[in-house]
Amino acid sequence: MSGFEKYLMSRMGAENSHTLEGYKAQGGYATLERVLKDMTPAEVTAVVKDSGLRGRGGAGFPTGLKWTFMPDAQKDPRHRYLAINADESEPGTCKDRVFMDEDPHGLLEGILMACYAMGCEGAYIYVRGEYRHQYDRTAAALSDARAAGLVGKNILGSGFDCEIHMHKGAGAYICGEETGLMESLEGKRGHPRPKPPFPAGFGLWGQPTTVNNVETIFNVPFIVEKGAEWYRSMGSEASPGNILVGISGSVNKPGVYEAPLGMSARTLLESEDFAGGIWKGRQLKAWFTGGSSCGMVPASFIDVNMDHDSVKAIGSMLGTASMIMLDDTQCVVRAMEVVARFYDHESCGQCSQCREGTQWLHQIFRRIEAGRGKPDDIDMLTSIASGMAPGKTICALADAAAIPANQVVKHFRDELEEHVRAGGCSINGTGACAHGTAAKETEVEVQS
Amino acid sequence: MTKITINGKEHDADPKLPLIAACHDAGIDVPHYCYHPGLSPEGSCRMCQVEVSEGGRPARVMVSCRTGISEGMVVETHSEAAHETRRECMEFLLKNHPLDCPICDKAGECDLQDYAFQEGQSEGHTHEPRRKLEKRKDLGDVIVLDQERCILCTRCVRFQQEVTKKPELTNAGLASRSYITTFNDRPLTGNYQGNLADVCPVGALTLKEFRFQARVWNLEKAASTCAECSRGCTVSVEVLRRDAVKRMRPMYNADVNKWWMCDTGRFSFEHLNDPERLTGGLIASGTDLLGATAGEAIAHAGATLRGTQPAIFASPFLTQEEAGALLELATTLGAKPKFISPEANDLKDDLLHTGDPCPNRRGLSDLGFEAVSAKDAATAVVSAGVALLVGERVLSMLGDADLGVTKLITMDTHPCLASGVEASIAVPFHVEKAGTWINVDGFAGRLTVARNAPQGVPPLERTLSDLQAALGLSEAQA
Repeated sequence: MSGFEKYLMSRMGAENSHTLEGYKAQGGYATLERVLKDMTPAEVTAVVKDSGLRGRGGAGFPTGLKWTFMPDAQKDPRHRYLAINADESEPGTCKDRVFMDEDPHGLLEGILMACYAMGCEGAYIYVRGEYRHQYDRTAAALSDARAAGLVGKNILGSGFDCEIHMHKGAGAYICGEETGLMESLEGKRGHPRPKPPFPAGFGLWGQPTTVNNVETIFNVPFIVEKGAEWYRSMGSEASPGNILVGISGSVNKPGVYEAPLGMSARTLLESEDFAGGIWKGRQLKAWFTGGSSCGMVPASFIDVNMDHDSVKAIGSMLGTASMIMLDDTQCVVRAMEVVARFYDHESCGQCSQCREGTQWLHQIFRRIEAGRGKPDDIDMLTSIASGMAPGKTICALADAAAIPANQVVKHFRDELEEHVRAGGCSINGTGACAHGTAAKETEVEVQS
Repeated sequence: MTKITINGKEHDADPKLPLIAACHDAGIDVPHYCYHPGLSPEGSCRMCQVEVSEGGRPARVMVSCRTGISEGMVVETHSEAAHETRRECMEFLLKNHPLDCPICDKAGECDLQDYAFQEGQSEGHTHEPRRKLEKRKDLGDVIVLDQERCILCTRCVRFQQEVTKKPELTNAGLASRSYITTFNDRPLTGNYQGNLADVCPVGALTLKEFRFQARVWNLEKAASTCAECSRGCTVSVEVLRRDAVKRMRPMYNADVNKWWMCDTGRFSFEHLNDPERLTGGLIASGTDLLGATAGEAIAHAGATLRGTQPAIFASPFLTQEEAGALLELATTLGAKPKFISPEANDLKDDLLHTGDPCPNRRGLSDLGFEAVSAKDAATAVVSAGVALLVGERVLSMLGDADLGVTKLITMDTHPCLASGVEASIAVPFHVEKAGTWINVDGFAGRLTVARNAPQGVPPLERTLSDLQAALGLSEAQA
């Protein structure tokens, strides 16, 4: 499928796209030079705001609007920071790594523009600890950029100073939550902070801070270069632009693909330009719309358009547009057990509901999956989930754990009940959909 | 002050404090665990949910410890929605909490019990096995941690960070595997560890001293003043079955100690339970000391002191009221009373302990008592030939100086065994009397009777006035 303009991955095919020469050869940093010379910070913010760019970290908050939350530099002389969230840890999400791998200078240019727009004197890139290769690529790019006078004092002779620092996480999912990320950057445990105060007023070390996702920032140089109108010409009305869609699971060609927001999920799944359909000639049974925290919907929803509002309309979320596909031989209970285990493992343990609720959900899914479910377990799942979310805890991790539980009960109640009734899995009629035994072998005791 | 409406009534609220403080000030209890008025609000237990509507917007349920005050705010603490949210929260908190209550020292004063009763449901829904963590983690000389009982409110962590400035505790681990611990299992240090057991809303942090000693509902509690330094912290003296003092805990006093007290004061009650204490009196007879009633000992003391000009030394434990009675007696004898002022100890710190072991130094000085070092006092006693030593601990404060054959009349909780002693009269401990101590900053701390003095131990004021009466009698009358 063609017929849309690609820009996010436009440079990535080229040789040495990750080096400074490779980047410059494709026109890199030219826009930055023009911005520093000809545009005021307010103009940069305005074009980003006009473009309608929405954050790509999952929540889809308008980026330009977020930038304007930073206090007026004239009235508030505090230090100002930008933090880049590269702690990509959501199961199913694997798009930020592509930018850091293939086009780290694109990210750096975006950071410099964002810092210029918001008057930030420094930026921190918080990279997921497991992303060693991506960290090294980005760090090498940063060092080259610094040597070329693109980072540091008096960038390109413009008088604009901006330092960029890199930080490696230690593998906690919660450090991808923006306030948890800031706590972690400050050297503390990654416990999310209650909001308010919001990061723009009280962020890193108590200074005004904006936290943006890698992909969000990566969009910025394109928007500034080509204008808001160009950007709005792509994607949908309320969600303009392209997005990287990660498709994983039972598909022929799992991978990360660039697509305009609002493209039909069926196209993404079935087109040869994208995932190329469900593998082994099987049928789609269920799919996660945007990473594990968005929950599973049945195959019947596959015609939804992948933009924020359309996915929301079917009761799910676009999230990071990371679709995980399950075919008809797979068991949703098994899948949910894995998802629930993940949140049980990754809750920071601060809020009562999340700490206990994530464990509780996992314990129940594990029992049902292992054939030890009780008839009232299924109602218990929704009851626990409604005690955890929405908005009952400091951050959204409890919501992220509760939503998939709610979704699976809503859409796959039959299958849960069948597991409880049959004392295990009998999905494909043979009782041999592999997970029953696998679950027993891999059953991890929650407590050590 | 900002006007807000709580449960239909208008209240003035301090806009610098969180909403939960305004509710508590208004006399409305909002259930809470992580919030403590003496610590920074954390907002993690999620228990203090109330329904708030601001600026005419629809009401929302939110945690009151992280919600600021705004003019015209309307708060419902007991609405259906708020209660339901708290009920849910209770169920999560109890999910892994062990059913230890019958053997838990906190039972009876446990917030988890109280709020489970008030907000929760009678039956839990969980069928899952409860969390297994360390049940008896030794945190040093004072505290034992039961990680299974812990609800991770982190009050203890913040107490160490913010009050003692010794960030020795932390939470470790993730999710339901989180627990409180010290770095590298090091023991806690400092003189304020006991407060950790007070700030803990559940039975996770308990005092070694108090473990399995008493059920708290059997303790009779009296608000009194700590005797261990001139700060005079307001404390609750807790007595088991009208006999042994089992525990001392700080009570909130904005002017003196806020919510805290030091371990020196907290654990200074063993001597109060000493069965060897003096009751009644002792009278010298030849080289022996014979047991007597207080009245007989007072009469003997009157006979000894009559016509003499004794050296009079008071203990700095004397209350203002007792000191007044002693002044009158001294005037009758033509003497000028002084009090023994032991050297400052090395317990002084930036928080509460003053290092001065004289709880009523300021009060006695105000009444004109001169402070005299133990050494000078001993010298004065010897040179006077006759001496009257008055008050709790006066003998131990005087030290083991050789008092020669000085004729001594002592009024202390314990008998005097010096060779010259003529009469010893029992006095009550400070937890057994009512009175006033003036602390280092001039605050009048009240002593109340937490426990009655044993039979045969008269109040010191009465002993002094009886002695004064005895002095007035002629030898024949006596």
